[in-house]
Amino acid sequence: MGKDLIQKSLKDSLFTGIIALALFGPIVGLRTVAKNEVLVVEPKWFIVLLIVAFCAVGRFFINIYSYKKEQRRGEPSSLGKAISNFLDEKGSQIAIAAIAFSIIFPFMPFADRYWMDIAIMMMTYIMLGWGLNIVIGLAGLLDLGYVAFYAVGAYSYALFAIHFGWSFWICLPIAGVFAGMFGILLGFPVLRLRGDYLAIVTLAFGEMIRILLLNWYELTKGPDGLTGIPRPSFFGLPFKRYPDEGVETFHTFFGLEYDPMQRIIFLYYLILILALITNAFTIKIRRLPVGRAWEALREDEIACKSLGVNPRNTKLTAFAIGAMFGGFAGSFFATRQAFISPESFTFIESAIIVAIVVLGGMGSQTGVVLSTIFLIGLIEVFRDFESYRMVAFGGAMVLIMIFRPRGILAKRKPTIIMGKQG
Amino acid sequence: MSNKLLDVQNLTMRFGGLIAIDDLTFSAKKDHITSIIGPNGAGKTTVFNCLTGFYKATAGSMFLNKEDKKMDLKKFSDFKVAQKAGVARTFQNIRLFPQMSVLENMMVAQHNKLMKASGFSILGLINSKSYLQKEKEAMKISKYWLDIIGLTNRADDNAGDLPYGDQRKLEIVRAMCIEPHLLCLDEPAAGLNAKESAELNKLLKFIKNDKKTGILLIEHDMSVVMGISDHVVVLNYGKKIFEGTAKETKNSPEVIEAYLGTDD
Repeated sequence: MGKDLIQKSLKDSLFTGIIALALFGPIVGLRTVAKNEVLVVEPKWFIVLLIVAFCAVGRFFINIYSYKKEQRRGEPSSLGKAISNFLDEKGSQIAIAAIAFSIIFPFMPFADRYWMDIAIMMMTYIMLGWGLNIVIGLAGLLDLGYVAFYAVGAYSYALFAIHFGWSFWICLPIAGVFAGMFGILLGFPVLRLRGDYLAIVTLAFGEMIRILLLNWYELTKGPDGLTGIPRPSFFGLPFKRYPDEGVETFHTFFGLEYDPMQRIIFLYYLILILALITNAFTIKIRRLPVGRAWEALREDEIACKSLGVNPRNTKLTAFAIGAMFGGFAGSFFATRQAFISPESFTFIESAIIVAIVVLGGMGSQTGVVLSTIFLIGLIEVFRDFESYRMVAFGGAMVLIMIFRPRGILAKRKPTIIMGKQG
Repeated sequence: MSNKLLDVQNLTMRFGGLIAIDDLTFSAKKDHITSIIGPNGAGKTTVFNCLTGFYKATAGSMFLNKEDKKMDLKKFSDFKVAQKAGVARTFQNIRLFPQMSVLENMMVAQHNKLMKASGFSILGLINSKSYLQKEKEAMKISKYWLDIIGLTNRADDNAGDLPYGDQRKLEIVRAMCIEPHLLCLDEPAAGLNAKESAELNKLLKFIKNDKKTGILLIEHDMSVVMGISDHVVVLNYGKKIFEGTAKETKNSPEVIEAYLGTDD
């Protein structure tokens, strides 16, 4: 048995090596270099050999691993399962610990500007992930254009704040409502679509919004982007070193030394609160009839219809609420950057958010956090390796799909419990 | 006749050149189990799909007599037939929500009632007492039905993990949760063993007698059909070839011919 397995695995990894050679040979192995003003092909066979060997050996070990898993079928002993069980049991304690950690995080000794920026970015992605989780995880509508709502939120916040001078707390709900309206706008034409077809249309919608922003120069300044978006203030107290005459600032009001970190820490708490609101809202609405209808719709639309559930309204609310949270995150993004352009809302952003939701385990709130830390953290760790970042990103996804094919946390908890007594 | 619950007149359904139902007229009574039988491809499920709004009938009329209101089923499209007219159905291939718990399946069936109680989620979000009260009532109804089919102790398990026979029964009581006037069952006994079939007969009789819900039944299993039907309609090639009691049907030469063919 064992011999047979090794023979098979070797054969398989040989094939993998051949495929890797065919792929990486031309892509990595042949490089054109300018020598004496002519292009010469310079072969790099050593690197190709390394990659091919890596692929072949990796494939071999994956084969052995999955064989062992087959053997142990039914025994809940794999590491992933252990982690998932642990999270299941101690879920609430871990959540409280995680929230407590995120609250004291800005005052940690190592939390400098760099770490704070990463934390803010991660929080933004977590919030977007939680928002999209409503659409993909609960309602099962594969939306590849989620970044469009992020963009709508950011632009509507920026335009209202610039042209009307309204404060952050007024513009935030407006941006959310605008994004939600766009969610319904997208929802209507795609009501009858599911799965792959829905994915294509939402992808196109995302691109449409981006191209619209790029070309409607009078409103959006096109590729130049919008500058001078007002920074948020602490309930009317701005974060400025040299305020205008007669304006009290955050640091003078509280009698502190001016420090640019004050603004960063404020932004961090802002996104933390927004994200936690998103989370609390999702957890609550999942237990309401509309949340159960979303999940039922994901499971079987025809059965839903036979029970009198209105699929149109149910889908539209999912799109609208998901989009609304995207809009909130967008307005936060706009106020943090003080500058937005269509560049920030490309398809890759949508893809990252979808990856976060899917790899986290569809519908799992904690899974979104874990996969964000894993994926975004990895991108950051590999920041110095430039183009290899995306390789690491892809590698991480492949690893999750091998070891946890249904996402990091795949277990679903019922929204209502009968219990023993009934 | 005032006790006609369902009144179908000259129903015709055409798919292009194919006539799936040809000028079908029949009725179902309130306290009856009406069976529709016929060989494969006779158009039985198509009748159901027309009744429940999944197809739009080409011609004919379908009326549901609800208390003293007469409702035109042709006016309702898919989900509204269940929501407004109170016609529930089950499917030939079971359609539960497999990844959701048994109890959740029952709760989704009470969606419209609960949605209203939750103030379209607004009252629900603020934990209003009136909503929590309604949710409790809905749970009681769920428990009532689960007790009847003996699945209360599995209420928190995924519906997809239940044995096949239990899934069939769950689908029927889930449909009952919308408090229908007419329950349409599409081959509920398919794939059940003798014991499970007997249990099913008991459940259907209970629904008919105690719940006063009219039942329209498509079935191949003759032990079920003959055991519980008050009235049988036989279809072949979309046409009604016979109508009568179970006993009359068994002895009808037309029906035997449709099922077994003739010797010439």
